[in-house]
Amino acid sequence: MIEEKVLFREEQIAAYARASGDMNPIHLDAKFAQSVGLPGVIAHGMLQMSMAAIVAAKAAGGAKRLRKLTVRFAGMVEPGDTVTFTADEVAAGKLQIKAVNQHGDVIISKGAAEFVSGRGA
Amino acid sequence: MTVEGKQYPPVTMEIEADKVAEFAWAIGADPHDGVPPTYAAVYCLGATAPQLFGDEDAAIDFARLLHAEQEFEWTRHPEVGDKVRSQARVTTDINRRGMRFVTFETDTTSGKGKPVCHSRALFVIRT
Repeated sequence: MIEEKVLFREEQIAAYARASGDMNPIHLDAKFAQSVGLPGVIAHGMLQMSMAAIVAAKAAGGAKRLRKLTVRFAGMVEPGDTVTFTADEVAAGKLQIKAVNQHGDVIISKGAAEFVSGRGA
Repeated sequence: MTVEGKQYPPVTMEIEADKVAEFAWAIGADPHDGVPPTYAAVYCLGATAPQLFGDEDAAIDFARLLHAEQEFEWTRHPEVGDKVRSQARVTTDINRRGMRFVTFETDTTSGKGKPVCHSRALFVIRT
């Protein structure tokens, strides 16, 4: 099993917004986020998924081997949260992906990946 | 208010080295590993999602939109310099318990028409 702990910082969320082009103010402007009923700025689901993909790629033996990645964004991630991502090979070429925050709340549920091994990659 | 079944025109995009490096840095990936798989957020989902969000018929309240589920399926991973073409459609658009559920699917192909990536995004809009 591959495991990585990641501390989410506001700067990284902003960097992801610029790099991805997803400039939704719920990720960048705390006052705006609160005005639409959120606790404050939250991380992009796609930033969480990207970190899950890095862990999945390690478990698969390389990013190019990934063929499928599925996640459900079960919980919000705020700046200051530490999220533990895990990828566990449950069958040949199949990974179970999980992400849990520092309180034990599930951040990514129903996470799964598929990969090809060997020369097919 | 439903745009279920609606298909959007194809969008083309080049996989640019600078953009890939910036993305890799932002997610904490090693930039030497090439195009991160989830760069599909840009060339596949990201290339087409603005068509949905900017669609007056769809009338999606962007600020109340949550990305609930995401799936990417890669036939092959693109490389820097590739030109890819993405086409999206709304496969479901339903209201349930005061929430709107929109499934948005995108198919990305290479310049030669070979499959690259399929994206399935589930968006939930709190109404």
